[in-house]
Amino acid sequence: MSPPIRILTAVPICDGHDSAINTINLEFIRHGIEVIYLGYHRSVGDIVRAAIQEDVRAIGISSYNGGHVEFFAEVVALLRKRGSDIKVFGGGGGTITHDDAAAMKRKGVDKIFFAGTSLMEMTDYVRKHYGKPRKRTAAKSSDMELARKLTETEEAYAKGKRRTAKQIRNPQSAIRNSKVIGFTGPGGAGKTTLIDELVLRFLNQNPKARIAILSHDPSVIGQGALLGDRATMINSQDDRVFMRSMATRGQAGGLSPATHDCLALLAESKFDYVIIETVGTGQEAMPFQQNGIVDLTVLVMNPDYGSRLQLQKIVMLDLADIVVVNKSDLQRARTAHTEIEQRLEQNRRDQQLIDTVAKRHRDPGVDDLFALICSSGWVRRS
Amino acid sequence: MSKLGQVVEAVESYNKFVLDHVKRARSDEQFGRELLGRWNDIKAKIPVTRTPTGLPLPRLALPDIDDPGEIARYLFGEGLPGEFPFLNGAYREMYLEPVREVESFEKDGGTGRGRPLGAPEKKIPQAEEPTRLFSGLMLAEDTNERFHYLTQHQRTHRLSTAFDGPTLYGIDSDADGVFGKIGEGGVAIDTVEDMVRLYDGFDLGSPNFSASMTISGPAPIIMAMYIAAAKRRFGPKVVPKLRGTIQADIFKEVQAQNETIFPIEASLRFLTDMVEFTTREMPRWYPISISGYHIGEAGSTPVQQAAYTLSNGFAYAEMFAARGIPVDQFGPRLSFFLDCGLDAEYIALARVSRRIWAIGMRDAFGAGQRGQLFKLHTQTSGRSLIAAEFKNNLTRTAAELMLAYMNATNSCHSNSADEPFTTPSEEWIRLAAHGQAILLEESGIFKHTMNMLSGSPGMKAVERAIEVAILKEFREIERLGGVLAAVEDRFQRSQIQNAAHRYEQQIYDGTRPIIGLNKYRNGEDDAPEIKLARTPRAKQQLQVDRLKKFKKKNAEKAKRALDKLVDVVERGENCFPALLGAVEVSSLGQITGRLQEVVGRFRPMV
Repeated sequence: MSPPIRILTAVPICDGHDSAINTINLEFIRHGIEVIYLGYHRSVGDIVRAAIQEDVRAIGISSYNGGHVEFFAEVVALLRKRGSDIKVFGGGGGTITHDDAAAMKRKGVDKIFFAGTSLMEMTDYVRKHYGKPRKRTAAKSSDMELARKLTETEEAYAKGKRRTAKQIRNPQSAIRNSKVIGFTGPGGAGKTTLIDELVLRFLNQNPKARIAILSHDPSVIGQGALLGDRATMINSQDDRVFMRSMATRGQAGGLSPATHDCLALLAESKFDYVIIETVGTGQEAMPFQQNGIVDLTVLVMNPDYGSRLQLQKIVMLDLADIVVVNKSDLQRARTAHTEIEQRLEQNRRDQQLIDTVAKRHRDPGVDDLFALICSSGWVRRS
Repeated sequence: MSKLGQVVEAVESYNKFVLDHVKRARSDEQFGRELLGRWNDIKAKIPVTRTPTGLPLPRLALPDIDDPGEIARYLFGEGLPGEFPFLNGAYREMYLEPVREVESFEKDGGTGRGRPLGAPEKKIPQAEEPTRLFSGLMLAEDTNERFHYLTQHQRTHRLSTAFDGPTLYGIDSDADGVFGKIGEGGVAIDTVEDMVRLYDGFDLGSPNFSASMTISGPAPIIMAMYIAAAKRRFGPKVVPKLRGTIQADIFKEVQAQNETIFPIEASLRFLTDMVEFTTREMPRWYPISISGYHIGEAGSTPVQQAAYTLSNGFAYAEMFAARGIPVDQFGPRLSFFLDCGLDAEYIALARVSRRIWAIGMRDAFGAGQRGQLFKLHTQTSGRSLIAAEFKNNLTRTAAELMLAYMNATNSCHSNSADEPFTTPSEEWIRLAAHGQAILLEESGIFKHTMNMLSGSPGMKAVERAIEVAILKEFREIERLGGVLAAVEDRFQRSQIQNAAHRYEQQIYDGTRPIIGLNKYRNGEDDAPEIKLARTPRAKQQLQVDRLKKFKKKNAEKAKRALDKLVDVVERGENCFPALLGAVEVSSLGQITGRLQEVVGRFRPMV
């Protein structure tokens, strides 16, 4: 089976009109396309960086606030400057005139959809024009090279490759540069926000640090997916952050079949930290157990997990190095903290429990978590 | 229970109060007679007016009822125009021609030969001219020129200002990657100097001048710039005289429009700081325009629009009261802004909103009469306008205008037919403004008689259905823990998106006919010849150059002012006075940037 088309969609800077793109995103994924959605009010730099890191076939931009001729042209120009041949298309209802569209095409934009274009027309266009991989020219930057290797890895699995033991490198070997931290937990617990807040602290603490993030969203084999973590990660759109979004493509447990190899690639690249985030997981999930690469595991919990008995069923509570009760401003958080604390005591391991409110700026709980991660001995417990 | 829950109870108990009075009017003869007497008295005092052909008409139309129960239902349930609960209008008379000859309509049976009732009532609160035109393009001086053009024939100068994208997001024109956006879709404002240029030549302290500024995320900063600009031109004494409105509606930004720049809590705090200052120091200023327009434009149903707008309003009221601002200080300074589209709900959406607001403010907040008024600006629906066969947009807007005035809106903006393409051009703006003049001044629909089209059986049916639906939405929000909790839960946002998706679906499958698009389409995509108001590069460069000069000139002072601002913010004090100092020497982007370091940035909800 051929791997899904990956494209990136976004709304330009100073533009909050996301109604059209939300509808279009849903239509794309319904037709088997993986859409990395960057959100609204996004700069040229953010869009180009994300597109290169995600190694998408094309960028779709939905613009309703004017300045589109310049904006689209700047996106194309920056892509070409960075040595990328990623294609650009888009639309803006009636705000983009035919003359504008002609000017934009001269500046390298593939296609502008006008008002009244059906969703089907757009989907067909994307599938027809971006359905096949292009011939690659030499990668112009290490990020681009890494992004392409990740694509190759992912596509190999999509075409039926099975994992071999060979790729598992010794995590302690000299080749490893990075400290790898795994985040997992149920959907809606706030993993993405928490990671983004930690990234801000990593970046501030060390002005040279580079961080990689491997983020996951669920999908079914052969179908599309909306990979939307980037849209809310305001601190992670930075040249010092390499982020890659993956769809699970039918694999249960929170990761994709290709995750292990992709993570190995990232861990061998020159990052100070590699963060991996699973999709929202169920009680039985133990995504990092067989991985051998993750140094430190963090389980992010929502205070609303149900009855106390439910805690007994969550396997990750036995395995995680750190357990975070996020949204600790909620009423139930105190009870949750007490119950989880008791649950962890049964394990008789040196597991840490931290309360956070990730959505709060400068949250002291997130500061504590950051300090704990930084001070970790980075010796894997097993 | 949050205040919203109390509002629901207040409306329900008021409805019960009305029903009880209807029953009592029928069973209690004494009470019935009193009502009938009052009713006849009201009718007797209604002046008569004449159409150009000489036909006499009452200046106020009332239902033809003589049963005390029905009279009670009308007087308590709807209220006369200008009377609680204000269903028929916030004021006694609106849109009417000045009184030329006043006669009693009742006494001579409408023959027009009755004797005059003495001197015309000069004290009738004449609503201001309801026409308000939205404008903003290129640089401050260009918008200023447009303002002068638009107001050349107007007695009162009511300017409504649109800002460009960078300004709306609190970013400077010299920021990375925004060059092409400078002056697009609105005017570029970076500094107090731009603000001086923007309203140059207008007398900001005059009772005949008011400025409206459509901006929310950085509203407190822009407000401070406006005050600073006014002070530069007219001295500090002008401040209490300033009239106008700034949108400053954070909830609807998070729910629909996505122009939020600080985290919600910080945004609300800055807003409250501003409201505390302006309601005390600038008693004629409206520091918030609680807006359903963008909720409607983002795709909500009309009922959602009204329900979210009203509940946002009650949440703001609760917040301001919690700060310790007296309800009779802030209540009269709240204003509203609704969308008016073509759906049947719009026949009575604003009428019902006005009633719920009045009851809620009186009975849940203890507001006096001025704080009960739902003062409404309406704009016709931009979303209903389409590019295909765009001249049809004139008809759409005309129908929407009609609906808006049937709802007794206090002011109204009519969209230009070319709006789907660009910032409206002069030709189409003129047609839009004339549309209002034709309706209000040329036609006899609104100028002779108050209540001319109120109270039809259909309108009443819509009113009842809408009220039930709005209260249902209130209960749902209350169940989620109130407005703020629901906003943080993305409740309103997801409801709006869902409705938007359904709307689009209906257009695609044809169940929602859009003439010229999915029905009676002429087959061609006509790209009309419209002169686009694009900002030339040279102007964009000029803005950047001016800003850089300003920053260079004030570099040292800016640092001190911003340090002071940050200090006040950290200490949790009202930061508005410090903002007033900061805008003198620092740019919008500098201030936003420093504040974001302290309170963080808004994390988008997707």
